Amino acid sequence: MNVEPAETDAQRFRKTLIRVMTVQVVALLLLWWLQVRFTS
Amino acid sequence: MHPLNWAIVLGWIGFVVFIGLRRSRGTRDVESYFLANRSLPWWVVGLSVMATQLSAITMIGTTGQGATDGLRFIQFYFGLPLAMVILGVTLVPFLHGAKVYTAYEFLERRFNAPTRSLTAFLFLLSRGMSCGTIIAAPAVVFSAIFGWNVLWSVALIGVPTVLYTMIGGVRAVAWVDVKQMILIVAALLAVVVTLLIKIPVSPVDALEIAGATGRLRTFDFSFNLNNTYTFWSGVIGGTFLMLSYFGTDQSQVQRYLSAKSVDEARSSLLMSAYWKIPLQALVLLIGVLVFVFYVFTRPPLLFNPAHERAVRDGLPSYYALMRREYDGQQAVRDTVARKLAAAITESDRREAAQQLRILGISLEAMRAEALFTARRITGQQTRDVNYIMPRFVLEHLPLGLAGVFIAAIFAAAMNAIAAELNSLATTSVIDFYKRWVRSEGTDAHFLMVSRAATGLWGIFACVVATFAVNLGSLIEVVNRFGSFFYGSILGVFLLAMIPRAKGLGAFVGLIAGMAAVAAVNFGAPSVSFLWHNVVGAVTVVIVGSLLSLGGSPTPRPAPRR
Repeated sequence: MNVEPAETDAQRFRKTLIRVMTVQVVALLLLWWLQVRFTS
Repeated sequence: MHPLNWAIVLGWIGFVVFIGLRRSRGTRDVESYFLANRSLPWWVVGLSVMATQLSAITMIGTTGQGATDGLRFIQFYFGLPLAMVILGVTLVPFLHGAKVYTAYEFLERRFNAPTRSLTAFLFLLSRGMSCGTIIAAPAVVFSAIFGWNVLWSVALIGVPTVLYTMIGGVRAVAWVDVKQMILIVAALLAVVVTLLIKIPVSPVDALEIAGATGRLRTFDFSFNLNNTYTFWSGVIGGTFLMLSYFGTDQSQVQRYLSAKSVDEARSSLLMSAYWKIPLQALVLLIGVLVFVFYVFTRPPLLFNPAHERAVRDGLPSYYALMRREYDGQQAVRDTVARKLAAAITESDRREAAQQLRILGISLEAMRAEALFTARRITGQQTRDVNYIMPRFVLEHLPLGLAGVFIAAIFAAAMNAIAAELNSLATTSVIDFYKRWVRSEGTDAHFLMVSRAATGLWGIFACVVATFAVNLGSLIEVVNRFGSFFYGSILGVFLLAMIPRAKGLGAFVGLIAGMAAVAAVNFGAPSVSFLWHNVVGAVTVVIVGSLLSLGGSPTPRPAPRR
């Protein structure tokens, strides 16, 4: 029977970190788009 | 206020106290009272950290700022995700692994008792005062908008919070925070939907109108030390501020010390970073939409009804003339805004946008004159920006939803105070009572002392609030007070990571850091306070390192088993 090794703390932290930074980048891109699209 | 809105507000406060007291079961000793036996799930800690950031001042003041100034305030938070990542990799594993109750307890192990006591004292001083202003700020607004006796407002916010915090400890605080956050986010989203329904143009046209007046300009890449809201002050100064606040302020440190493990502590910090910028953007956007709403609805000349009344009664013919002119310009702006919304060609759109900008400047000048007159008549700072949202809520939100939003403001105030009371009690008991007065005793004794400390700080906060409501500028003084210490305290923790740094260097460095900030504050008052944290931290590290030159590195303190 194959058992997947449990995720290490470092791997879990890295995954969460990537998600967090992605959300920030998306938020910043949306704000940038608002500025470019609606501000002359 | 309508009885239905009252029922919602009082019902919510009762519910929160019930939840808080229910969660107090199982609190038998100091570790469970202050750290929930380090058993809280990461998402509870994360939501709790977020909740403490969303105070009533955010709900009232930041929305008002969005209405008058647009989105650029969001730059203030650009440093937060960076700070969370840095802390997650450095200080959080260290502090959590050290099995301390307070961040300052760690400093004695690393340096010496005087450094611990001085930093703990500075925390108590600044947090104790700020706790009072967190209660005072919404109490003043409620008093002006709803006509409530300001002392009753202080009691309605302070008493329930002290009750569940005192009895339940951090477990009650954290779980109540979760419920309160759900209410706050739901209220914010409901207000957005309401605004989009009430504004008589499409959402895209609403954004066009906001953009034409510069309210959607978020990013300012100019490098200007005197300007608080630029990209650079947010990323650099803001990172230092957030490192200091989340890394060394006990009200935040205590949250992640109560997580089950180092990994959960780091995840909880990252979780609060997840939604900070989007949530703040939502709050500011609500303010922007309120501005657009008032383009199409006759706005008050002054949003603070007490000040508006003072000008109307004190100078009736002046007020009538100002009102007539303001309404006239406002009607023209309404027409131009509709023209912008209906514009088909790019040149029509640009022309309408330009007219809107000019009208906006003219209307702002009239408001500035009215604000100046109000200040002259009342002898008080007007702070009109804090009354925009409550006035809108009272006069234009549907029945029931207004009650929900006001309950959310109470929730935000209670969240912030609960965290501060809990951390004030922790530091008082662990860093002073246990350290200097009585180190040995039963769990029951220390639990009783902890509860008493929470209650006493609650009373102190309510007393400060009672004075602060009459001294509006005190709120600003207290906020600036904190900026003297934060950066320097961060500097001490940074110094702790340098192996050669010694206790004397830390203590003297801390004083030097605060002196440097004072020099900048009084010598160059135009420099934005966000840079004070950088000045304080850097000074402490440099002075502390220089004083520690020579001698061998201090061995790292062993974690407590």
